[in-house]
Amino acid sequence: MSLELVCPAGTPSALRAAVDAGAHSVYCGFRDETNARNFPGLNFSPAELKEGVRYAHQRGAKVLVAVNTFAKAGAMEPWKKAVANVEAAGADAIIVADIAVLDHAARHHPDLRLHLSVQAAAATPEAIAFYADTFGVRRVVLPRVLSVEEIKKLNSAVASTGVETEVFVFGGLCPMAEGRCALSSYATGKSPNLVGVCSPPDFVEYCDEGADGTATRLGGFTIDRFAPGAPAGYPTLCKGSFVAGGKTSHLFEDPVSLNAASLLPRLREAGVTALKIEGRQRGKGYIAEVVRTFRKAVDALEAGRPQVEAEAMLAGLVEGGRQTSGAYQKTWR
Amino acid sequence: MVDQPNGELPKVLQILARPAGLLPLGIVLTQAVRRMARRRPTLFERLDEHRHASFLVEPSDLDFAFVLVPDGEQASVRSYSKRALPSADVHVKGPILMLLGLLDGTFDGDALFFNRVLSVSGKTDALVALRNTIEDAELKPSDLLGVTGRGAAFLDSAVLRALASARRVVGAPNMGAMP
Amino acid sequence: MARIGLTLGPCLFNWSAERLLAFYRGIAENSVYDRVHVGEVVCGKRMPFSDPVWPEVIETLQSAGKEVVISTLAMPSTVRERKALAELVSGDVMAEINDITALASLEGRPFTVGPLINVYNEASAAFFAGRGAKSICLPVELPLSSVAVIAKACEGLEAEVFAFGRLPLALSSRCYHARLHGLHKDSCQFICDRDPDGLAVDTVDGQKFLAINGIQTLSDGVQLFLPTAGEASAHGIKRLRISPHTLDMVTVGATYRRLLDGEMSPTEAKESLLALGLPGAPVNGYLSGGVGASQLELA
Repeated sequence: MSLELVCPAGTPSALRAAVDAGAHSVYCGFRDETNARNFPGLNFSPAELKEGVRYAHQRGAKVLVAVNTFAKAGAMEPWKKAVANVEAAGADAIIVADIAVLDHAARHHPDLRLHLSVQAAAATPEAIAFYADTFGVRRVVLPRVLSVEEIKKLNSAVASTGVETEVFVFGGLCPMAEGRCALSSYATGKSPNLVGVCSPPDFVEYCDEGADGTATRLGGFTIDRFAPGAPAGYPTLCKGSFVAGGKTSHLFEDPVSLNAASLLPRLREAGVTALKIEGRQRGKGYIAEVVRTFRKAVDALEAGRPQVEAEAMLAGLVEGGRQTSGAYQKTWR
Repeated sequence: MVDQPNGELPKVLQILARPAGLLPLGIVLTQAVRRMARRRPTLFERLDEHRHASFLVEPSDLDFAFVLVPDGEQASVRSYSKRALPSADVHVKGPILMLLGLLDGTFDGDALFFNRVLSVSGKTDALVALRNTIEDAELKPSDLLGVTGRGAAFLDSAVLRALASARRVVGAPNMGAMP
Repeated sequence: MARIGLTLGPCLFNWSAERLLAFYRGIAENSVYDRVHVGEVVCGKRMPFSDPVWPEVIETLQSAGKEVVISTLAMPSTVRERKALAELVSGDVMAEINDITALASLEGRPFTVGPLINVYNEASAAFFAGRGAKSICLPVELPLSSVAVIAKACEGLEAEVFAFGRLPLALSSRCYHARLHGLHKDSCQFICDRDPDGLAVDTVDGQKFLAINGIQTLSDGVQLFLPTAGEASAHGIKRLRISPHTLDMVTVGATYRRLLDGEMSPTEAKESLLALGLPGAPVNGYLSGGVGASQLELA
């Protein structure tokens, strides 16, 4: 079986771009708090999802829908509705994190294929087996905290459950265990787990302070400072500059993005089923380019062509941008 | 050309890009946006409450700016001289080619912030919503100018080609720069 | 009205074996906590140092009439850590789970759920209750309105709220203490032991913001939730969790007890706690659904 390339779509036009560029699967979410990329202007209405599924299926691609935030106490209706809408749209799987939503989907929509979201941060054979045994989860998106060796061991340990694993290979990188981070709500009051937005744009300020340069703030906390005249980057909390022990540094993570392209052969050897590209907030031009290139790399890998070729193709994607292979290499820690 | 920073327009092109008069441009653009809202009403749903927000768009290499309120069929675009800029909910400033890159899908919402060429202040969430709406709209120059049929196809490819080569000329990136 | 219980949560920091022994001896002899958590939650690499002290600590606490709970690792990963976790949750002492991994070894034994497990709604709380959970310390960012909904829906379950201490906000597989000191995690020299309350992380403009503790990120601010017994009961809260710091935790416990027993007003309790020298400014914004770092007058 070929490695499955799972690609992001923040809008219907991005979905079409990803499918046309060779995505095996596309993932997306509804335009509300039920999905973890709830940025203004992004995502799908139930009608748009239905149309997107039709477009993808006609071209042999699958659609996976993320309903991967945690349901609000006493107000679970939007999540239940979202699960029903995924099934009604004929999507191929639903990506879920909350035990309450998993339980509901398993009970009331038994034919819906369940994927465990990275937001559930299941990183051990025991945790994965729990989700498989209890809710019938068929695939787990692994947290971005594991090394390739660990993924390999994990896959052999869960082989008997038949659960597939999906790993991130490209795009934004959370240095924290996903779904277990309250930094953003500490600064803004908005929990990514509940409303689906980390470092939300309505709490962002770019403050031009003359000779002191530009401060980027989130909820009033300075996340970074840029030289006068230099345009400032988006204040994603964990990518900011902070002072600890008398040192100023990008303490949590440098402003880099993940690129595990050179690790594709090792990931395949580690028993991974699917490769995920992050970036539902990215534009269709970017998505088409990344998907096309990764598809070529996967095809080259499958055809047994030398990896140098695939790496050369992917090198163009990251020109000028800073990248890391993240936790896949143990030294990241 | 080598000294041209951040994809700003060379002086010659700046003069060429200067509008004949400030008022007519606003009227033309207002009509274009409203026409689009009539043709594709669902397009503006994505904006949600941000359809009432005002966006001050200031090309750093031109001597005028404009304010957009993207409220569907009630949308308005007004142009202003740089000497008397009004206040707005969102202020975005950058070289005109980069601003146009947001329209034609060359740059995306992340690149908007990460490529460090555009500067943004005010209601960032409204700008993100507008950007994502434009992203899904698959806007073409002919949509804005209200041209249809074969003329539209010709116009679109010609304008997009011209923009791409203009970016090459001034050394601006042709794809969203990575964070 | 049932008496609100006081839980001393697990020590999140890298304290030496001697410090742990002395600390829990003091808690056993002098404190009013009715339930005390022991065990390592944050980093498996600390376990070889602290493991030897727990049998004696547990015995001391139990002899003093305390209910003891063993808290378990939040991010078990190595074979050794997972094995230790399985052993801990299948022992005689009730365990607190802080990762789904632990569920596999419980096999019907009663347990408690720690604040690092995502229980955001009544359906997931009921799910854990159905598997034997006795109490749940809810996630720190959950507002009291949600606590009340969950508590009401799950009558048999004790709802516990994180009431005192730096808030545990995030976990990573990366060690920030090691990273800050230019060390690899694998040869970290256990450098987090230098900061027994965590190391302050300020913004570049000097605002107090966060604190690091190995792989964990905490708030710089110290959660101070100071309800009267009536206010706590009105939200269905059965227990308050007090998280250990280096300051006088016996007095912290006594202050909360007097507050809950109506012998002290919230204002008096706050003054008394501030006088002990907190590691950060008081915060409580999460409880009203607001900014975690803010401090609000709670109605």
